[in-house]
Amino acid sequence: MITREDIENIALLSKLYVPEEELDALTQEMQNIISFADTINNAAEDGTEFDNINNLSNAFREDEVVPSYSNEDILRNAPDSAQDHFLVKKRA
Amino acid sequence: MKYEMVAGFETHIELGTKTKIFCGCTTEFGGEPNTHCCPVCIGLPGTLPKLNKQVVKYAIMAGLATNCKIANVSKMDRKNYCYPDLPKAYQISQYDMPLCEGGYVQLSNGRKIRLTRIHIEEDAGKLIHERGDTYVDYNRGGVPLIEIVSEPDIRSVDEAREYVEKLQQVMRYIGISDCKMQEGSMRCDVNISVRPVGSEEFGTRTEIKNMNSITYIAKAMEYEFERQVDLIESGGKVIQETLRYDDATNTTSPMRGKEDAHDYRYFREPDLVTISVTDEEIEEIRSSLPELPESKRERYVTELGIPETDAQLLTKYRKISEFFDEACKDVKNPKTVANFIIGQIFRTLVTESDKEEFNIKITPAQLSELVKILESGKIRNNLAKSALDKMLESGKNATEYISESDMAGLDDNALAELCKQAVESNPNAVADFKGGKEKALKSLVGFVMKNSRGKADPTAAEAKIKEIIG
Repeated sequence: MITREDIENIALLSKLYVPEEELDALTQEMQNIISFADTINNAAEDGTEFDNINNLSNAFREDEVVPSYSNEDILRNAPDSAQDHFLVKKRA
Repeated sequence: MKYEMVAGFETHIELGTKTKIFCGCTTEFGGEPNTHCCPVCIGLPGTLPKLNKQVVKYAIMAGLATNCKIANVSKMDRKNYCYPDLPKAYQISQYDMPLCEGGYVQLSNGRKIRLTRIHIEEDAGKLIHERGDTYVDYNRGGVPLIEIVSEPDIRSVDEAREYVEKLQQVMRYIGISDCKMQEGSMRCDVNISVRPVGSEEFGTRTEIKNMNSITYIAKAMEYEFERQVDLIESGGKVIQETLRYDDATNTTSPMRGKEDAHDYRYFREPDLVTISVTDEEIEEIRSSLPELPESKRERYVTELGIPETDAQLLTKYRKISEFFDEACKDVKNPKTVANFIIGQIFRTLVTESDKEEFNIKITPAQLSELVKILESGKIRNNLAKSALDKMLESGKNATEYISESDMAGLDDNALAELCKQAVESNPNAVADFKGGKEKALKSLVGFVMKNSRGKADPTAAEAKIKEIIG
């Protein structure tokens, strides 16, 4: 059962501001999402181990260098940048 | 009341792979800011991580070298926290199914520091705080790390120091990391608490974060131990909190961020599949590991008769011990080789990193040739030493500095002739000796040694001189 406190806590951890008047609606929405995901718990268990949809394991990459992007491209989507760095407000 | 320290370590080590853990960007240290980056390691939406095979191999090597059990099946998880050094707002790490579990590091006092686990994860970016702003460089973001978590088995600062040094030594031997603490490729968090000696229960612990020097670790632990004891003695209580060590003031102080309170909401990383390793693969990696320092040291002492302290010096860095092993191959007495390395060769290697790199001009075969000449009895130790000094400067063979006539030995007539010369050209010393000064004889023997280029047997020379003086 999702509570208002859960939503407040998640908002805090995610650094999101949630206005008081939206809390109830969000709690209900989150409850719906979790309930939907819970459907899987009700699936009949036939003893099959389920890992991933294709039962893949060990999808590895060889340790070979590929060229990185230019500094300019990397910073292209940055909200703000200075001296080749991403620039953000200092957070405690 | 007497208190004892109880400490456990979380050690982060950057792996020496060529590329990052989930993308092909280089892991090279330094570089202009944000130039070793791509959409994957700056966390752009829609990108997918792909695990570097070498990271898994290196982590298994680390596990095997520290007596861990390697998991046949493990997986990656997301550790969620919101901070600018982590562009995705989560770190891909391992939570409940790490790659390695349950090893140990043995200290010289015989105690085993148990390892809870070793897991793989990605490093975060670098933040530079300036006034109200934070500048972010993601070159380091996504560099592969192993985190080695120990049980709270450490009982003193000395044990802590040895534990860190041993880890560093082993990881360098197996070649998975340079473990340069000053460059941040090895960093430690220390969990520390105190309890009355004899007590079985643990006290409340604090965690000192992110230390990158053994000296600071030692100082921080000493300070924190005293602080906790004083607190308890004065009726206070230790609060579980995360601390930062300030080397300028040699104090620890609480870090902010109680809101994070370890609510990482771990869940399985949906973008990566299971890691599975067969027993055969594990054994193959095990057999590829070099001989570890601990086993070398023991072998040197028990099989080669090298004194313990010398064995420690010889095994401190892999290159030294490999040179020693190579040079010992067909000499009679490995101790002679050891003495030349620790004496003559070490003298030319001033700093610790000189010793570690062991960049010298001669090959093990060249040293072994010199030792064999010495062992043949044709030359004396002093001549061998001075030849080695010259070899180390020029890189040339021993035979450059030891002539045929040096090796020809000194027959009795030649020795007698030199002793006669010594007596004739040093009348003062002879007079002193006759007057009862035993020491004067030494200078006469010295004359013989010098003029025979070290070939004379000093005991025989002394006897001969006495005979001449009568």
